[in-house]
Amino acid sequence: MKSFENIDVKNVKEAVRLLEKFQQQKKTAAVVGGGSEYLQLMKDHVVEPDYLINLKTIPGLDYIQEERGAFRIGALAKLADIETHPTIQEKLLILSSAAGEAASPQIRNAGTIAGNLCQRPFCWYFRSANFTCLRKGGQVCYTVTGDSRFHAILGAGPSYIVHPSDTAPALVALGAKIKIAGPAGEKTIPLEKFFVLPSVDYKRENVLGPGEIVTEIIVPTPNPGSKGFYYKVRERLAWDHAIVAVATIIESSGTAVRDARVVMGGVAPIPWRAGKAEEFLRGKAINEANAKRAGEIALEGAKPLKDNNYKISIARDLIQRAVLASV
Amino acid sequence: MAESSKDFSIVGKKTPRIDAYERVTGQAQYTGDLQLPGMLYARVLRSSVPHAKILSIDTSKAEKLPGIKAIIHHGNAQVPWSSGGLTHRRYIFNNPVRYVGDPVAAVAATDRHIAEDALKLIEVKYEKIPHVLDASEALKPDAPKITPNGNLSVGKGPFSAPIEESWGDVEQGFKEADNIFEDTYITKHVNNAQIERRVSIARWDAGKLTVYASTQGVSNARTDIAKDFGLPLSKVRVVCKYMGGGFGNKNQAQDYDYMAAMLAKVAGQAVKLEFTREDDFIGMHGRWSSEQHYKAGVKNDGTITAVTLDAVTNMGAYRKQSGNLSGTDFYNIPNFKKVIKPVHTNTVVAANYRAPAYPQSVFGFASFLDQIAFELGVNPLDMFLRNRAQKSKGKLAYTSNELEQCIIQGANRIGWREKWHKPGETAGPKKHGIGMALGGYPFRPGLGAATIRINPDGTAHVLVGVTDIGTGAKSTMAIIASEALGIPLNQIQLTNGDTDVTPYSVGESGSRTTAFTGPAVVAAADDVRKQIFNLAAEQLKVNAEDLDLQKGEVFVKNHPAQKRALSQVVERAGELIGRATTNPNFPKEMDGKCFSAHFAEVEVDTWTGHVRITRYVAAHDSGTILNRLTAESQIKGGVVQGIGMAFSEELIIDKVTAIPINPNYRDAKVPTHLEAPEIEVIFVENYDPYGVYGGKVVGEPPITAAVATIANAIFNATGKRLKELPMTPDKIVRAVQV
Amino acid sequence: MGEKSQDAKFSRRAFLKGVGGGAIGTAVVSTGLINADVAKAYVSESAGGARDKSAVALKVNGKTYRVEVEHRQTLAEVLRDELGLTGTKIGCDRGECGACTVIIEGRNMYSCSQLAVWMQGKEILTVEGLAKGDKLDPLQEAFIEHDGPQCGFCTSGQIMSGKALLLKNPKPTEAQVRRGLSGNLCRCGNYNREVAAVLAAASKTS
Repeated sequence: MKSFENIDVKNVKEAVRLLEKFQQQKKTAAVVGGGSEYLQLMKDHVVEPDYLINLKTIPGLDYIQEERGAFRIGALAKLADIETHPTIQEKLLILSSAAGEAASPQIRNAGTIAGNLCQRPFCWYFRSANFTCLRKGGQVCYTVTGDSRFHAILGAGPSYIVHPSDTAPALVALGAKIKIAGPAGEKTIPLEKFFVLPSVDYKRENVLGPGEIVTEIIVPTPNPGSKGFYYKVRERLAWDHAIVAVATIIESSGTAVRDARVVMGGVAPIPWRAGKAEEFLRGKAINEANAKRAGEIALEGAKPLKDNNYKISIARDLIQRAVLASV
Repeated sequence: MAESSKDFSIVGKKTPRIDAYERVTGQAQYTGDLQLPGMLYARVLRSSVPHAKILSIDTSKAEKLPGIKAIIHHGNAQVPWSSGGLTHRRYIFNNPVRYVGDPVAAVAATDRHIAEDALKLIEVKYEKIPHVLDASEALKPDAPKITPNGNLSVGKGPFSAPIEESWGDVEQGFKEADNIFEDTYITKHVNNAQIERRVSIARWDAGKLTVYASTQGVSNARTDIAKDFGLPLSKVRVVCKYMGGGFGNKNQAQDYDYMAAMLAKVAGQAVKLEFTREDDFIGMHGRWSSEQHYKAGVKNDGTITAVTLDAVTNMGAYRKQSGNLSGTDFYNIPNFKKVIKPVHTNTVVAANYRAPAYPQSVFGFASFLDQIAFELGVNPLDMFLRNRAQKSKGKLAYTSNELEQCIIQGANRIGWREKWHKPGETAGPKKHGIGMALGGYPFRPGLGAATIRINPDGTAHVLVGVTDIGTGAKSTMAIIASEALGIPLNQIQLTNGDTDVTPYSVGESGSRTTAFTGPAVVAAADDVRKQIFNLAAEQLKVNAEDLDLQKGEVFVKNHPAQKRALSQVVERAGELIGRATTNPNFPKEMDGKCFSAHFAEVEVDTWTGHVRITRYVAAHDSGTILNRLTAESQIKGGVVQGIGMAFSEELIIDKVTAIPINPNYRDAKVPTHLEAPEIEVIFVENYDPYGVYGGKVVGEPPITAAVATIANAIFNATGKRLKELPMTPDKIVRAVQV
Repeated sequence: MGEKSQDAKFSRRAFLKGVGGGAIGTAVVSTGLINADVAKAYVSESAGGARDKSAVALKVNGKTYRVEVEHRQTLAEVLRDELGLTGTKIGCDRGECGACTVIIEGRNMYSCSQLAVWMQGKEILTVEGLAKGDKLDPLQEAFIEHDGPQCGFCTSGQIMSGKALLLKNPKPTEAQVRRGLSGNLCRCGNYNREVAAVLAAASKTS
């Protein structure tokens, strides 16, 4: 790693202030939560900040609280704690499952929810110091001419990364909100609006601007009669990002769908809401034909690259499976 | 039939490793754990282009970095690396560079971060030359030439090209067949990926070079270094007490050992050269990839009449090993011809990885036979039984052969007859399948040496050159010594892996340690027992031939009450030293092999392409099993490596830039705990007359059948034949949708 | 001429002879390692320049160590190189293999993925801290008995993950053990044995 200075901060304001200060001084600075992912990027020379602002020393930012039909989760709450929290397992099982699918036990013990949502892509060109790709300020997205087997089939271009987070699709399915602190104060936005398509800005994955950091996730509990389902298809059963992931919350009256949220991971640069499939499902009976049709609709418009067309059928069939499991 | 094994005192039991204590307490010192006074840290700079002339290397900026002590490159350190290139001259730094990853320079500094910082400051000017990545493309006449002799990797002796072998008359054999089949199978480059990254510490003392290496063979590492540095063997010492796996890519000395030695010479201080994990994937070799084309003549009942194999193996930029494909070894093939072309391409080098010529070609040939069985309507079990090896190369007898029993016992254990069904018959998206394949590995004893010292208190000290890459070789040698000496294991100390102290060992590879060094240990034990008996004969007033030594006691064979503790026999004798150099062999008309039959049940989710192994049975003929505990672990471990090769592992090189894009664990996908099923091991034991205590080989065989076994199970589940590794979800999903 | 310089002469000549002979051109001998141009290979004497270092007190295995570390040094590096606790291994330095697993405040984590400066005041347990004098931890005994280590390089990490698991869940099922250890690679493929060892250790401690 390139030499840098680590600064421990005591509170969010201090972190924001430092980010502003270093930006004015034209120095590079980054905040770090758990640190596992960011250190990797630094060791591979993908990022080389002059300053690392350590948020772990901020007390009381790792809470998991339930109040008035919603959960408030502090940015530094660890994935392992979210996975094993008894009330989250009871009321937000899809989030517990998704958190438990991330990486490996050791990373879940260190990694934070904010870090999981803000992680950089794991595209092998992006992560390699040997490629200065489009996202890193170069001219070319190497996926186009290269090996695209793990890349996006929806919403992509001119960069074809997929968002690697497991909790993101689950949280979007849950309708979560995200709180951001910055120089202009605090704001809360729907998590769905947090992620950025490459057609809008191919150099970043989320809306965080200079000096902004995530402070909290707010997750409403699903309505009664809802069943959540997080399924991740991958090559290895540990430590592997999704080839395709599906997060669904289907609220049903037993046989007919009252409301549906269908979000896919591993297929797009952002957690991908299959809005048309959701619309189709509302009011429909939960049977094989409708479940199959929902999958087909969700993948309409998919634009596979040279090596990743297999993702279409996997995603489609997974949605079918998820819908049928929601009875 | 050979004699059955007699009652052993320790051979055949489950014996914990003699150094397990050191390993579980963190006390075992691996090369990277060693710190020498004043030691510098070194890193390697590698080529970022696949084929280029180096026009200039400017180290001036790097030299200015405080803490830099030495920088070497081809301009000032042209050391030949003889074992690194067997068909054209290879140096530790080459010009032209021939693959992305070819070393260009090495830097030594006061700490490793400074060394890494320096790499970025070295400016290299390249003049690019056209490159070629694909083996078949490389054989075309207009392909860019990677070596002066072209891209077919022609060398001397075992490294000539193409590799050709034949017996019988294949044309006649095809005529005798009822059916002719042909097909092509493709396998990929897979890295050994051992958890210990490569590291070497070099130190010069008054003209003598000591290398603390992470190597599988201290003796041949010493030979390599002495040869290429022009030093007498007496001025080179190689030490390796513990090493964290190698699976074939740490045998002999490697370029980084030489670089460490050169940097140490120049800087006048000890140098520890460390590889990053990326260095390890790119800078070291993996298993050669292959394209195998088989043609077989087969009778209607499945009996093979003739087989031809035409293949290309991709050796990468330099030739370090054979490039052979030997998966046909486990079958009776009356008429046979193979022509294999090892080829150079501008890619990462390929050489030995566990059973180097086998898993990829067992995948090819056993899949091919399984496919033939399907097309003939023959149960695969009958196909494999019918064609199993009974004579080697059509005519030689085996020293021992329990392949039939392996097949039968394995099939019984998994319940083959009850569970087998026609391919693809399971309804629904999750499909059950069962598959099998045959494997094994050559067995042949050879040159080994051992010294045994009997201390005045009756304890023993065994000195052998073996390293222990995880097979438990140290323990095996100690067990052999204990059995041969008649001294309990806990009274034996074993010293290994130091060429100043321990005698020659062939190096732990090819499963040769037990076969080569084992007999030497037995002979050294016999040697020292004679000396003990001569002493005891005087003391007990009997003839030496009347005596025996068991459990640390010398006694008269016919009158066991007449005995004396070994410690009493030797206490005034000074030190007794037993020694032996042995080179056993068996007759030319015989062949030695280990055999195996593997069976697997799988569940294939055809919607996601994910495969779960629900049951795995591995039946092995390895002769007498010397240590049941470690032998079973070897089998299980080899199968897990096969699982990785079958499902997920390959080194992927970007076709446009020629840069490897997955030189790390997360993308090269070594199997985790969750990929490993419970593996049931069956040993069919039969005393091989040419093996030490009747044992053959254990380490290499278990990976050989695994990949094919899984592939055949997937075929049985889906009815779709996958002919290209690895069998990743995308390939499975595409196959079932056709 | 004393013995020492004769040795030096022999060694230098022999070294050069090997390096300069055979198929290698004269380039090495003339621009090589013994004459003026050796300055190109041998660089300055100065020690490393001042970089950001901090004092940190590390609590490892119940002992407090005070060290000065660069901010970019990981916990794994400092444990091994500064504290001499080499039982923790580095297999990939990227948090992708688990060889460097230690227990930090009761959780198993990758020490290569934590900066040493982040560890101020945290209780760290490494493999060296498991045994109590001569008495091995039941996990260590079980690993010996069940052949847990083959090459042994991943062993410390596997044991630490096993320890962390048993501290939270003293009677795990086989599936829970496999999942608990799933962040530890074993290239020797010794997974069956490692799981069996953890289960055996769990059944011993009541």
